[in-house]
This record gives sequence, C-alpha cells and structure tokens, in this order.
Amino acid sequence: MAEEVLAPMVGKILKIKIKPGDAVQEDDEIIVMESMKLETSVHAPCSGVVKEIKVSEGDRVEEDDVLAVIE
Amino acid sequence: MAPEWKDLTEKFERERERLRAGGGADLQAKEHAKGKLTARERIDLLFDPGTFEELDLFAKHIGRDYGLDKRELPADGVIIGYGEVNGRGCMVYAEDFTVVAGTFGERHGRKICKIIDMARKYGYPVVGINDSGGARVTEQMGALSQYGQLFYRHVAASGVVPQIALIMGPVAGGQAYSPALMDFIFMVDKTSSMFIAGPPLVEAVVYEKTDEQSLGGPKVHGKITGVSDGTMADDRQCLEQTRRLLSYLPLNNKDLPPYEVPEDSPDRDTSELEEIIPTDQKKLYNMRRVIDVVFDRGSFFELKKEFAQNLIIGFARLNGHVVGVVANNPMKYNGSLDYNAADKGSRFIRFCDAFNIPLINLQDVPGFLIGTRSEHNGIIRHGAKMLYAYAEATVPKITCVVRKAYAGGYLAMCSKDLGADVVFALPTAEICLMGPQGAVNILFRKEIASAQDPEKVRSEREAEFMERYVNPTYAAGLQHVDDIILPGELRRKLIRALEMTLEKDEEAPDRKHGISPV
Repeated sequence: MAEEVLAPMVGKILKIKIKPGDAVQEDDEIIVMESMKLETSVHAPCSGVVKEIKVSEGDRVEEDDVLAVIE
Repeated sequence: MAPEWKDLTEKFERERERLRAGGGADLQAKEHAKGKLTARERIDLLFDPGTFEELDLFAKHIGRDYGLDKRELPADGVIIGYGEVNGRGCMVYAEDFTVVAGTFGERHGRKICKIIDMARKYGYPVVGINDSGGARVTEQMGALSQYGQLFYRHVAASGVVPQIALIMGPVAGGQAYSPALMDFIFMVDKTSSMFIAGPPLVEAVVYEKTDEQSLGGPKVHGKITGVSDGTMADDRQCLEQTRRLLSYLPLNNKDLPPYEVPEDSPDRDTSELEEIIPTDQKKLYNMRRVIDVVFDRGSFFELKKEFAQNLIIGFARLNGHVVGVVANNPMKYNGSLDYNAADKGSRFIRFCDAFNIPLINLQDVPGFLIGTRSEHNGIIRHGAKMLYAYAEATVPKITCVVRKAYAGGYLAMCSKDLGADVVFALPTAEICLMGPQGAVNILFRKEIASAQDPEKVRSEREAEFMERYVNPTYAAGLQHVDDIILPGELRRKLIRALEMTLEKDEEAPDRKHGISPV
C-alpha cells in the first residue's frame, strides 16, 4: 500500500533527507520546509520504503501538494 | 385517597404513562440497537437527578390529512421542559425519534419555540437535542412556518442566553439551520449527521452518489466545515460534556460565569514552561502544553479541536474565574492565521464578549497566511473578523506574547491597540511590523547587491535588525507591552491582571449594531 506525503502548508523545500529506496519509520523527519519565517518538518506518515520523490530542494509547494510516496 | 379521586387518578396516570412511552418499546429497542439512547434517557442524563419538569406532554399534533387525524403522536415527537444542571437552571427540548421519526410538525415546532421563549424570558440556557427525519411533509406550511418561527427565536435569544445544540441522530433539510443559529454544537460519532439535503435528494438533483456520513457526519463538520464544536464517542459522553460546557457559562447575559473555588494555587510557579518553549526560534512546540501549565490544572475545555488547528480556543479557569482562551498553535501553519482560524476565533471571541467571559490571548503568530491560495480564500474579508471581534469586545482582554507577534497577526491576536487591557511578553517575544528577512531586503538592497559577500552582509544586517527591533524590550520601551515577564511568573501575572480588570466597565458606542465582516 502506498501513502502520499503531503505538504503541510505553502512554502519552499529546504532539505530532502531521503532518496528513493530508503527505508523510513513512521514520524521520521524526511523533508524540511520553510514557510512563514519558520522551518517546518515533514514527517513520514507511515513506515515503509520511499518509492518516489516528487520535489527538489528549492521548489515552491502549495498545501497538500504531494512531496513523496512511501510504499 | 378519597374514593371519588381514585378512578380519576388512575385514568390520568395511565394516560401519562402512555404518552411518556412515545413510540413504544419496540421502536425504543430499535434506537438502542443503533447505539442511541431514547429522548427521555437523554434528558435524565442531562439534568441533575429528579430535577426535570416536563411541559406540554399532553400537546396534540395538528396534522389532519393523509389519515393523521386517526393517529396519535405522543407529545408530537418532542419533549420540552426545565430542570437543573450542576444545581443551575436549564431548559431543554429533545426530539423523540420513536414518534414518526421525530419529524418536525407544526405543534412540534410550537413546543420548541415555547421553550426557547421561556429560556429567554426567565434567563436560562437552552439545550436542544436534535434527532429528526426533517420536516413532516404532511403538514406543509405548518412545518415550514414553524421553522421560520424557530430561526427567529434563535436569533432573538442570541447573546441573551447560551444556546447549545446536540446532534444525536439525523438533522436534515432546513432544520439544519436551527443548530447553525445556536452557539455550540456537539455531534455523536457514527449516529449523527447534518445536511440541508440528504443523499436521495442529492442524487436526484445534482447526480451525486453519497451517504449520510460523507455528506455531513461528525468528521465532516468537525474537521472540514467547522460547524461542530466536538465529536462525542456516544450519547452518554455527549451529555456529560454538555454538563461540563454549561459549568463554564453564565445563565444569561446579565449573569457572571460561575466562579469555583480553585484547588490550584494562584502563586504556583510555572518555570516548567522553560522546558516547553524553545529559545531556538526555528523550533516548534506544543501550545496546548503551555495552556495546561498556566491555567488551573485540568480546567481547559477545548472546542473545535479538529477544525482550523492553527488556532486553539476553549474555556478554562484562572484562580477559579472562567476565561476564554485564544492561542496560536505553532504546530499547524507555524501558527499563521488563515481564513478558517479567523472564523473560528472571531465567533468564540464574540460569544465570550456577549456572556461576560474575559479573554486570555496567547500569541505566537508569524502573521496572516499569505499567498495566492490564502488571498483567494478571502483572508482579507475573514481576517478582518478577528480585528473586529477583539476591538468590539468590552470584556477584560489580557494578552501574552509567547514568541512571534508579527505584523497584522500581532494586532489580530489582541494587541494594546485593539484594546488589550494588559499585555505581557516573555523574553522570547519577537514583536515587529516586518521580520528581519523582509526588512533587510528593503532597507539594504543596494548594499547587499554590491557587497563582495552578499550573504555575509545580509546575515549581519539581519542580526542587527533583530537586536534593534525584534525583541520585547523595544516594544516595551514604546509601551506596547506592559511588562516583560519570566515563564515561571506567567500564571501569577495573568491572575493578578485578570483580577485587577474583572470589574472593568466599558460601554460600547451607542448604535443599533456594528457591521461585522462575516
């Protein structure tokens, strides 16, 4: 089962801490975003393997944009 | 008993029993099988034991067409009356689903209107227990007219007595606007729903297949629409929590909220806040933990927890006094105010103001949420509601800047300029018109662009800017902050300020009413 990692709010991707194929645990910090003058961590919604990353560092995203897919 | 009274008494007791049985044991069993309690069981749980007095048990339905003249609808499907909750008066109406699915006929409507009129006249809160298949179509204009009468009464009672709606079954069609005109709404998980048109009509008219829960169940109204103030696990919990909600509310707008002798000390040191509030400005923290530490232990009663999670609202006690808490939540949108948060906050502020409940505001707000989506969602129109509600409120308003207090967000969370009576700031406070990033780009654009190492110059200028402007000392020097305090002192300082302002007497300007943005 695949689960999408969604952007929690509008902002910029500062750092991507995962690559396709990585194993992640639920709640791991996988992406760091910046928005409204603060850094926001994006956490893995579930445990699994990173199937796809849909953004790059520096990208601008809207709330609920799909950032990555975990399987 | 006198012999001539014996027959008469027995006859009346039989009659009363028959009417109290509503739709009868079989239909009651069906309700129980769905996980619901009956209307009378709900009333028993709402009120202190033995205090409920029923009115209009003997009221008869009006419908005469489609064979209804030959049917009896006990109490016309709704129970009304008064009693005591925590020893204080309260009015109730409770729809009885076992009587023609609790449908809303003319007499049914007249009964509800009567109890709301009484609540307003005698000054007691009214709890409406909704469980109805909607309008009784056999009564046509009788039902429609009573919907109008009911809405009219909710508006007349608004701001005079608290009105609480419990959704403990379906509430369909026009009737859904009745709870919407009241002050608080609780819904019961799995068994409740609210929509203006049910799944069959939706499918027939707009060709969409759906079901009751996805159309208007507690998850929809708790999370997406913000119609509901909370989802309750079952009927029992819903009624318990209603009793708790009432324990924070005055009986009417001329009454004060009930003071309770506190078990917590007003001088309790709150230094544990140092463990919760990070000094690293980029780190997030849980504002609910701050609330739990500052207010009387265990007193925080949160509302609309799942909706607009960037703003936390609820009632609490400070040294026994009821207060309304409005706090930014950095865990969602970094605490920014969006259109839903403004809606949630402004409504709560207006309730507190109408019912003499002082406001305690905990700020950590980087501003109103910006960007195309936020603008298109109407952040100007909605954000204005927060400004309006705070400026309009004449109850005591006490603010503490915990961390960020930027630009319009600072004003919208009740600054001095919006009429705050006392403003505190923790040493971590950052109060400013514009953050260092934006300001430095404007002020030093040329210098940065022409520098050999632009990033170095930028960060130096940002640090200087922070030092000069973005701190509580600068704001306190200009009297925007009354006092800079330490985390350990926060509870005591808030209590001292609250008790100093309790007798505040501020008159609103003489006018019919203002035009609040909606």
